[in-house]
Amino acid sequence: MESWQSLSMLRYVIRRILYLIPLFFGVLIIVFVASRLAGDPVRLMTVQNPRITPEARQNLSEYYGLDKPLYYQFFIFISQLFEGNLGNAYAIRGGTAVTTLISDYAWLTFELQLSALILSLLIAIPIGILSAKKQYSKLDVSVTTTSLLGTCIPVFYMGIIAIIIFSYFLGWFPYGGAHSILPERYPFGSYLLDELWHMVLPTAVLTFATLAPIVLLVRSSMLEVLRQDYVLAARASGLSERTVIYKHALRNTLIPIVTYIGLYFGGMLAGAPVTETVFNWPGVGRLFVEATTKLDFPVIMGITVFITLMTLVANLITDITYGYIDPRIRLE
Amino acid sequence: MKRKETAKSKMQSQNEKRIKKGVSQWNIAWRRFKKNRAALAGALIVGFVVFLATFDALIAPYAPNETPGFYTGETRNPPSLKYLFGTDYIGKDVFSQVVYGSRSALFVGFASAGIAMSLAILVGLISGYYGGMIDNILMRVSEIFLVIPFLLILLVFLKVINVITPGGGGLSMVVLMIGLFSWAADARLIRGEVLRVKESTFVEASKSLGASKRRIVFRHIFPNVLHIIIVLTTLMIASAILVEAAISFLGFGDAAAITWGQQLQKANEAVKEAWWEGVFPGLFITLLVLGFSLLGNGLRDALDPRLRE
Repeated sequence: MESWQSLSMLRYVIRRILYLIPLFFGVLIIVFVASRLAGDPVRLMTVQNPRITPEARQNLSEYYGLDKPLYYQFFIFISQLFEGNLGNAYAIRGGTAVTTLISDYAWLTFELQLSALILSLLIAIPIGILSAKKQYSKLDVSVTTTSLLGTCIPVFYMGIIAIIIFSYFLGWFPYGGAHSILPERYPFGSYLLDELWHMVLPTAVLTFATLAPIVLLVRSSMLEVLRQDYVLAARASGLSERTVIYKHALRNTLIPIVTYIGLYFGGMLAGAPVTETVFNWPGVGRLFVEATTKLDFPVIMGITVFITLMTLVANLITDITYGYIDPRIRLE
Repeated sequence: MKRKETAKSKMQSQNEKRIKKGVSQWNIAWRRFKKNRAALAGALIVGFVVFLATFDALIAPYAPNETPGFYTGETRNPPSLKYLFGTDYIGKDVFSQVVYGSRSALFVGFASAGIAMSLAILVGLISGYYGGMIDNILMRVSEIFLVIPFLLILLVFLKVINVITPGGGGLSMVVLMIGLFSWAADARLIRGEVLRVKESTFVEASKSLGASKRRIVFRHIFPNVLHIIIVLTTLMIASAILVEAAISFLGFGDAAAITWGQQLQKANEAVKEAWWEGVFPGLFITLLVLGFSLLGNGLRDALDPRLRE
């Protein structure tokens, strides 16, 4: 029995991976075409420089391999990608390798997004359940109203408000960045504490923004489950409300939430440019904004590929968890 | 006793009237919508912003490009009776700018949602009704659009267009891009609904009477998925406004247009000196998005047949 189960799980995981590969290539093609649709990158890079000579343009073209036909460039891009090479930046940090750039900035992005995601799940699930348990109570109404409002406030506006209140008026937290410029300003002289101190505001804002839709989802999912016959049966057999909710209903409530987490994480990563710009947070999102402003295509492509890959991995983890919670899905 | 009877007979005659006149599904939905206070509040908010946008030149005390505070040294002045929401970095009246911004926000919302929903309806109907190979291809394409980091792609497109043709495209280009990249999720929802309606007996009946495919799709299926399209469109307007605000905030929007997102971008550079520069435009973004969300949720409760008693 045990081995049969793990075999079906393995088959399911392999099927999911095979399914994600064409998706990844589809995104790659769109991103590649999008970056070339605009025309010759060399022309774009030099459009603001009227004194550039045709020879200099030719040299640049040859240097970056842009004189080759398009399909050949795509082939090179793909084969380099499999070697873990995303090319060199055109402008940022004097042509550093894109992989180096990403690995320098990605950690700060993950730190922020993951802690916000985990915190918001920890807060949202109990609140959503409580709200569903006491449907139409004062608590429920205020929870749903706050959550709805949370989905309507732009993250960057929330960030600006938080900075105005907590940095400007109260002076509790720094305005932005990940570290104080001067080591003397580190709280208790600790580098780690300094980073945590800088993280508080961005994490809080991002958590609230992520929390709101999850609360609404948990609530509606719980309400749906509480209407099911097996919950009625459990109640009728005299089980306590606690057992009914936390043992019988919760597991089934979590199924739709698990499927959304992968999507949420992808959305959060794609929204990184906005959150990181408000708080001046030196992550890949801000790097992306800088690269786009400078039309640094290798960096643009690299970050897009990186974020897509992370989204797909998050989806895969979601799928696996889904298959674990709901065994029926494996056999589909 | 007598009173009860008259009440009863009154109700009966009302019922008869109702039967004579016939009550359409839309009438029932409207009755339910009227009772929903949150939905009415949403409609009121949207109506208020539409009012601002229609009479913007009459409401705003200053012209769009006027900088009343510039010559008097009143730049970044706090809110006062003269400048209701204060003045910005070059002495523009923030209140006037917010009023003019309402027109851009509504244009972005309606136009982007129009483009995105046209695509979503087209893909959803074709995919759902024809099925098979076409369905398979369209659904794989929509999956790609779902995983693509769409804000990143939008930023690159808009930047590149701006470099090739400086100032070109304007707000319409932003709208077009948002529309082209946000149809996928709704197309899948519409497809699901089409699949459900397709199995109905009235479609079967129409088919057996020899109705053409086009007739079935446009006369029978489309009217029966219209309710979900209305709801999705309203919610799409809200999300398009949020996306445009984010794009403008990052400085990739139309620099020539007056938008709330752009006001927030300028304000972000000076939160220390002038909080009013950002607080008010942001408040209006939130208000309008909230209005469309409440309206959308209310419409869903009123129109969704699965929630009907």
